[in-house]
Amino acid sequence: MLQVKGISKVYSNDKKAVDGLNLDIKEGEIFGFIGPNGAGKTTTLKMITGIIAPTEGEILLGGHSIKTDAVEAKKNFTFVPDHPEIYDAIKGIDYLNFMSDMYDVNKEDRKMRIEKYTKAFQIDDALTQPVNSYSHGMRQKLLICGALIPNPSIFILDEPHVGLDPHSNKILKDLMKEHCANGGTVLFSSHVLEVVENLCDRVAIIHKGKLIALGTPEEIKQERSISLEDIFLEMTKDE
Amino acid sequence: MNKLYALTKIQIKDFMSKYSQQLNMKSKLLSKLIIILPLLIFLPAYEIIKQVYVSFAAIGMPELTLTYVYVAATILIFITAIPLVISLFFYSKDLSLIATLPVKEDTIIFSKIAAIYVYLLGMALLLFGTSVGFYGLYDGLKPVELLLGILGIVLTPVMPMIFATLVVIPFMTFIGGRKNRNLMVIVGNVLLIVIILGIQVLFTRVQMDPASLQNYFSSSDGIIALVGHKFPPSVWLTKMITKSWLDMLYYILLNLGFIVLLKLTAKHLYKGAMLKYNQQTSQGNINKKGKVSYKSSSKRALLIKRHLGIIVHNPTFLLNTVMTMFVPILLFGIYSLMGLMTLDTFKDPMFKPYAIYIFTGIISAPVLMGSLSTTVITREGKTFWETRVLPISINENLLTRILSTFIASFGASLILAIATFWIFPLGLIDILLSIAFALTATLCFSTLDLIINIARPFLNWSNPTAAVKNNLNVMISFLPRLAFGLVGFVLFKLLPSVGGQFVIAVFSVILIIGFIASYALVFGRYRMKFINMDI
Repeated sequence: MLQVKGISKVYSNDKKAVDGLNLDIKEGEIFGFIGPNGAGKTTTLKMITGIIAPTEGEILLGGHSIKTDAVEAKKNFTFVPDHPEIYDAIKGIDYLNFMSDMYDVNKEDRKMRIEKYTKAFQIDDALTQPVNSYSHGMRQKLLICGALIPNPSIFILDEPHVGLDPHSNKILKDLMKEHCANGGTVLFSSHVLEVVENLCDRVAIIHKGKLIALGTPEEIKQERSISLEDIFLEMTKDE
Repeated sequence: MNKLYALTKIQIKDFMSKYSQQLNMKSKLLSKLIIILPLLIFLPAYEIIKQVYVSFAAIGMPELTLTYVYVAATILIFITAIPLVISLFFYSKDLSLIATLPVKEDTIIFSKIAAIYVYLLGMALLLFGTSVGFYGLYDGLKPVELLLGILGIVLTPVMPMIFATLVVIPFMTFIGGRKNRNLMVIVGNVLLIVIILGIQVLFTRVQMDPASLQNYFSSSDGIIALVGHKFPPSVWLTKMITKSWLDMLYYILLNLGFIVLLKLTAKHLYKGAMLKYNQQTSQGNINKKGKVSYKSSSKRALLIKRHLGIIVHNPTFLLNTVMTMFVPILLFGIYSLMGLMTLDTFKDPMFKPYAIYIFTGIISAPVLMGSLSTTVITREGKTFWETRVLPISINENLLTRILSTFIASFGASLILAIATFWIFPLGLIDILLSIAFALTATLCFSTLDLIINIARPFLNWSNPTAAVKNNLNVMISFLPRLAFGLVGFVLFKLLPSVGGQFVIAVFSVILIIGFIASYALVFGRYRMKFINMDI
């Protein structure tokens, strides 16, 4: 479903933010992407979603290259960034309708999904209010709703649990599971190791732009016979 | 097409909503009415166009109004389009979101252009539309000309807008790879001023040469040829409205050509510039090693440094502050280039009795035009909470805001005083009195303006222009200035024989009283308002 083939990102100061990363994320999988601050998680997600271009390597989404066949590749996913910055002078409902239009969601599905997700996240009463009157958490929920409405093949989220209350976190986790149960794929980055351990089918640990571990949480733990948290701390400590 | 429509619609909706929200109007009715505020700016334009029409109609060539106004409208639209292109293509919060959407590059470019077009169409309607109105209605209804004129209005923004896009985006690409994007705001705006000055010079030189004007007027196509020589589309459009179908074809083809050119270059423009800017934002996380300083400073100095730093480190705030403070110098530059004024003008004996007033006005311009305290809380935006949680007293918090405005404004006044005192026939006492006036005016308005900002804080802005320009506080701050100005005028009229020194001295005393009253209000009644301010 999502293939990342040897991507690297070198910024103008010659710093390699991502170094030869390879990933193959399968359909129906919840894939966790973890690493310390500045490890290259957000850069990788930005390259996958076409926000920035990789210096080298190739990314395929549903078999389409994000570089050479961007529109078709982008039809396969929706993205929730770590900072909920969107059009903020418009009303919440305007944003959700905009996302529906962008991904060609018909009127019936749109109504049904908007009601379903906004009720689940308890923002249905705020939809007629301008987005700039929303709290950080409410904006985050609006973005998640906007990303779920198109029912994408791949649901990509950057640090989705930051800023969400426990209730909303639970809802999000359930929706991720439901999405995968229906054949969708979820890729998210996180610092919350407990969530990653309990939710993900597979996990990738990235440090200084390089992939240092990949597998199911159990596989990674079995190799070392310690908890994922200890593994993470051990692997990502500076030499 | 649906996606282009949806993408355009949301951007226009966001733009219009932001405009009314950023004016910080609490009343919904007022916020709707305030949208028409810019129309007032165009009332003088209506008068000018009327004058132009009457003049050209008098020599039997009313269609020249179209040529003349079209050239002016095109230049103004081009100039207006530059900051709009920069703002919508590079400073918009939607860049990351749009980059992930399943839409083609040209759809993104065209949706953004469409949002800009709507804004510029309003400008074309008010400027060129007025001339079409005069031409089509003033001496009896000319229906075909009016319809062709409407087509002309619709097409007027296309060429300058796309031209601005094709110039600005590659320039931003060049800048984006080297320095941070903020540089562009300053470079771009300075460029605009140079262009405006250049145009002023170009037009005034033609106007100031009556002999050559006479020659142009003597032939029927004279002025059209004059303008058209440098800008043929103005000729095509004028002739189009006067029912020349061949010129209509030329004009439409020209606009279509620009649209096609934009479509052909859209992919390159998007990848070259917008993606590059997204990348630059991502790069911000990389740690840069530099010299670490552990020097300590007083809380007051730090707070003042913080308030001044907010201006200095934000190119929009800095440019706005510098531009408004140095308005007199800028005006003098324009007038000098236009040949309306020279340094010798001020040496004229006729000027001598007024020299002290002019000098006082020039060096007081920073505080009179700057209104820095009206936005000293607003400029902090979402970081305002920081001073709330710091272990500083409310009085210190308020005082440092006044002091930061005072330092910036009075500092600029001193620079202006040093730069201009030698131009005027003034004695030492005159100069000292003028500086004393600037000092008292700065103290008075730095404090008085803070009351406006405490009463009307606006912290939830999404772009810096909204905080310092579209904010109604700035307009409100001109009311007390107007009131003080009236007092000064009455004083001047009541005491015609006492001389400038005495009037300036008395006026300074009035300003000191104004300062004391404002100070008492800020640290009395408005102190509580500041404490209870919602953030």
